[in-house]
Amino acid sequence: MTAASVRIESVTKRFSGHTAVNRLSMEVAAGGIFGLLGPNGAGKSTTIRLIMGILEPDEGKIVLFDSPHGSRALSQRIGYLPEERGLYKKMKVLDHLIFLGETKGIGRADARKRAQVWLERLGVSEWALKKVEDLSKGMQQKVQFAGALLHEPELVILDEPFSGLDPVNAQVMKDIVVGIAKEGRTVLFSTHVMEQAERMCDRIAIIARGEMVVNGTVAQVKADFGGRHVALGFSHDRQRAAAILADPRLIARIDDYGASAELKMADGADPEQLLAALVREGVGLRRFEVVEPSLQAIFIAKVGADPTATPLPAAGAAA
Amino acid sequence: MNKTFAVIRREYVERVRTKAFVISTVLLPVFMVLAVLLPGLMMSGGNRTRHVAVVDASGSGLGQPVSEVLKAATFGDAKNAKPRYQVQVFPADAANLAQVRDGLIAKTGFAKDRQPDGWDGVLVLADSTLASGKLTYYGDNVSSPNSMSQLQRDVSKALAGVRLAKSGVDQALVSKAMASADLDTAKVSDGKLTGQSGEASFMIAYFMGFVLYLATLIYGQQTMTSVIEEKTSRIMEVLTSSLTPFQMLLGKVLGVGSAGLTQMAIWVGSAFVLGSQGARLAGAFGASAEAARSFSIPGIAPSLMVVFLLYFALGFLLYGALYAAIGAMCNTIQETQQYAIFVTMFVLVGFFSVFALIKDPTGSLGVTMSYIPFFSPFTMPVRWSMTSVPLLQLCVSLALMVLALLACVWLAARIYRTGILMYGKKPSWRELWRWVRA
Repeated sequence: MTAASVRIESVTKRFSGHTAVNRLSMEVAAGGIFGLLGPNGAGKSTTIRLIMGILEPDEGKIVLFDSPHGSRALSQRIGYLPEERGLYKKMKVLDHLIFLGETKGIGRADARKRAQVWLERLGVSEWALKKVEDLSKGMQQKVQFAGALLHEPELVILDEPFSGLDPVNAQVMKDIVVGIAKEGRTVLFSTHVMEQAERMCDRIAIIARGEMVVNGTVAQVKADFGGRHVALGFSHDRQRAAAILADPRLIARIDDYGASAELKMADGADPEQLLAALVREGVGLRRFEVVEPSLQAIFIAKVGADPTATPLPAAGAAA
Repeated sequence: MNKTFAVIRREYVERVRTKAFVISTVLLPVFMVLAVLLPGLMMSGGNRTRHVAVVDASGSGLGQPVSEVLKAATFGDAKNAKPRYQVQVFPADAANLAQVRDGLIAKTGFAKDRQPDGWDGVLVLADSTLASGKLTYYGDNVSSPNSMSQLQRDVSKALAGVRLAKSGVDQALVSKAMASADLDTAKVSDGKLTGQSGEASFMIAYFMGFVLYLATLIYGQQTMTSVIEEKTSRIMEVLTSSLTPFQMLLGKVLGVGSAGLTQMAIWVGSAFVLGSQGARLAGAFGASAEAARSFSIPGIAPSLMVVFLLYFALGFLLYGALYAAIGAMCNTIQETQQYAIFVTMFVLVGFFSVFALIKDPTGSLGVTMSYIPFFSPFTMPVRWSMTSVPLLQLCVSLALMVLALLACVWLAARIYRTGILMYGKKPSWRELWRWVRA
């Protein structure tokens, strides 16, 4: 469990005109769930494709399981769900899963058994003999998910695994991913949904414009971000809070969601001061809580890509 | 290797299962049966006994010997062969010739409807016929070159007989002397008879070239389409993570190829059944045996069959690999057309070289082309069927083909590997070269 599942060493990948990944280094330790976060176009998929050996890095290198071999030679130990979902539309679901298993080096009879177990588990076993094209998008995604996990890989790489799923199916997939991590296997998944990453991941890396922004365990990332944070929920008279929330002596940064907000206190300011001021003004509060910064807040502060966030004038100095 | 086999099986099974495959496999033999039977059926009028009225206005009794020769003419040489003509002589003279003739012409064309006094044709012998050889035939079958040349031959025979008899030659001697020559051809190879006629060799060579030509174009395009389809469905992103491009493409070329070979085997098999049972089949459909025989497929020597199958399979796969390479560099079917034309040209050159080879199968052109893998599948079977090819040449040529096949798949894989994620961008030739070297 000490060996790193994935080690990326100063990797650069350029496409005609722009640099998708720029001297990126990171390490995914064996075991647990690793979240690769970043806004759209940050280079998440490119990074994953580089790990999978679909793309070759222009510079730097990628080492899997501390082995000198590339991902293709190790493909039996790796499961991959690409961002662009694709299956043979005319094939029957069961046949397709068997084929995917075979390409991972599993025998035909074994692949059939495993495919049936997975279809059962994902609740699509009655579709086993239907053609892929007859399935809904969500069901196709489940099939592909099963195809990536069929051979019980010790490293599972999922590119945006929950996009396009309804809440019920997303829950089913989440349980499976968590289950894999519990078995001591490694999951690396990319997402731009921070809440999900926050709840599931042991470790994260936030990348933007192809470069590493933050990297570490979730707790560590939050501690490093520092400051005291307050989550507010308004019940009435929201407008009376405007002047207080705009006061740079109290507040360094605010993510305003309308009925709620997440604040970072200015240096030297006290959450009690803030509460007193809000009560004095007669602002109706539903919630007032001193919290850890959310990944969302950290992400926005670091990447600055979310237009809904309004950095205060003093924010630059504080952050 | 197991992975490649999984790809081969997938390509093969998925292809053979489709409706299109089943339908085309069944339909082509049906068309072949029709192709054999239809001309037979259309020409079956040709061996119906013709009712011919001979109007004899020669004044010298020419009608008698002419009608005798016509009556003696039969279909084929068998003892109880069907007579070609049923003849009746109508004497006439210069005065009533037009009247008699027009009266008969009015009833011409009704014989096939079983009208007792209908005629198929009217043969008019004028007084100048014996001297000049000129005579006129009015009939509903004048547009059939076969029937007309036969009639002309029969009448010429009668006229020659009468002329000779007039010069005092014995009638029996005449018919003996007039027996026509019947040329049979036989192929000699290495001082041994092969039991094939020259015509048969040509037919086999031509047929083989044609089958390869057709199969290459149809299945090559399918390989190409299938590569493109994999790109558009994005499935290859999963596949490239566990298979090498070489495994993927080799599996594809061999899988689509074996589906094609299966279909070809069914087709060629049914063609041979038709060839050997053609007469019986034709009979069942009411066409005459003779009509069917003219379309029969000559038997093939086993060694030629082996050579043909080897070259067919290799040539087929080689062109499949070329098409796969084209699929690898393009993103849409439309884009492939401009590249595919080059491959089509190779196929065409190979196919048409067969005609040059038939004239001179041992020449340097033939030997050179046997060593070029893109052409040898067309030239080698032809050369094998027409002359004897040294074993060494055969082996070298086959080895070159296997090498070329692997090289093509390798090349395609190089292009594929790099081109795989180049959605929506068409590579220039210079970029292609870079991909191959990458």
